[in-house]
Amino acid sequence: MAHHNQPPPASRQDPRLDVPSRSDLARLGVDLDRVWSGVAGEVWARRIGPVERFAARLLRAPGLARALTATPSLVLSWLMASATVLALGVVTSRVTGIPWVPVLAPALAAAGIAYAYGPGVDPAFELSQSMAISDRMVLLSRGLAVFVINAGLGLLASLVAAPARGVTFAWLVPMTAIAALALAIATLTRSPGTGVSAALGAWMAIILARAAETREIASAVDPGPLIPLYLVGTLGCIALALLATGGTRNEVARWP
Amino acid sequence: MAVAGKGNGNANVSVRARSLTQRFGRTDALKGVDLALAPGVFGLLGPNGAGKTTLLRTLATIIPPSGGTLRLLGLDPTQSDQRRQLRRRLGYLPQSLGYYPNFTVAEFVEYFALLKEMPSSDVNRAVAHAIERVGLSDRARSKLKTLSGGMVRRVGIAQAVVNEPDLLLLDEPTAGLDPEQRVGFRTLLREIGEHGVVIVSTHLVEDVAAACSTVALMDAGRIVFQGTPDHLTSLGTGHAVGDSPLERGYSRVLAEARA
Repeated sequence: MAHHNQPPPASRQDPRLDVPSRSDLARLGVDLDRVWSGVAGEVWARRIGPVERFAARLLRAPGLARALTATPSLVLSWLMASATVLALGVVTSRVTGIPWVPVLAPALAAAGIAYAYGPGVDPAFELSQSMAISDRMVLLSRGLAVFVINAGLGLLASLVAAPARGVTFAWLVPMTAIAALALAIATLTRSPGTGVSAALGAWMAIILARAAETREIASAVDPGPLIPLYLVGTLGCIALALLATGGTRNEVARWP
Repeated sequence: MAVAGKGNGNANVSVRARSLTQRFGRTDALKGVDLALAPGVFGLLGPNGAGKTTLLRTLATIIPPSGGTLRLLGLDPTQSDQRRQLRRRLGYLPQSLGYYPNFTVAEFVEYFALLKEMPSSDVNRAVAHAIERVGLSDRARSKLKTLSGGMVRRVGIAQAVVNEPDLLLLDEPTAGLDPEQRVGFRTLLREIGEHGVVIVSTHLVEDVAAACSTVALMDAGRIVFQGTPDHLTSLGTGHAVGDSPLERGYSRVLAEARA
């Protein structure tokens, strides 16, 4: 199949140049094809960025680090969209006094995690299921990375949104639970859309129920009495996601 | 069970499946498949829905079997540590290759070399060698979204062979390749079949005739014929359906299996 970049045959070489032929080199133990592959490999190799280099050291797995940097919901456009939504939340919070950042942060994290992995999101999903680095590890590393980045963005936004300072860290607990719910539903149903819908539906239901009770949004996003529920829900959802990635979802058999 | 391939006995068997079944809901996609393959190129023929893709996905450890036993390269894929070892030595080209459109050819092949846990120091050279083998050296730095369908197929083949696999599974690999590329591809198959097991699912009987040492014909989840291409050809003598002797053999075996 390969016809390119082979060294020219000896007959085409200029006899005035005392260049050894391929057979001369072979006698000396020089494998030109191997040399060529080595050179081409270096020329074609991409530059590994600092984030991937750091992740490779942290995870002790270059493959996992590469899979992490290929996360669909960590591309620049997605991150910019998330930052824009939170920035709008900050502005609205400052103008209206309603704490929108704690409302938006869990929803954004849920969407990011649901769209981090899986069929329909990851184009190479089928192939990645046959790889030595398991899809479960890819899922967990991507999910964690998306969560940490969204938590950072949320933290930044809530520090800037002055009226919401009273509940600056309150959204972290529900955010964890809502993101875990999105992860579990998306992996179980193999549908990121379903994962996001379930997570957003649950989050809206919680906010509306609490708002009806307390009559104000600020209190509604404060996890308060719901903290045990959030924690149990988070653990249950992570267990479901692990179970779902133990084999193939929506198919009868699973690898043990 | 006879051992297919270049090996000369059970000691050399690299793929062994016994009574392999695969069930999805109420559908039996595989109904007791038995295989014993030694290194060589093994062709898998059959009509749509015969179970070829399901068999390949099962052998690629994507779907655990619903029943039966499976040993691949002497390893038990039900054990997670052995499955991981096996996947390092596996090459797989799915029927529908998904890809990241903004990756270059070299980046895509490298991505899977890393996911196969190849040593980092070997990756660049292996990537270049795989790209050369499929004749895409001049497009190594092109983004995948700029390539033709046939080129993307060759990129898929490159990622499958980048780790010099001992078990290579190819689902419709020649779809989109022109005749010259198919000839080159068959040479590649024969090279890999010298030391490893290559299983090729295809609709193109001429690929089987040219490249495969052994062929199996599947229908309705079962293997209804296994033998050499010459044997399948001989079965077509006197049968009217088919444009080539091998096609006539294929049609006859299929007709008799369904009778």
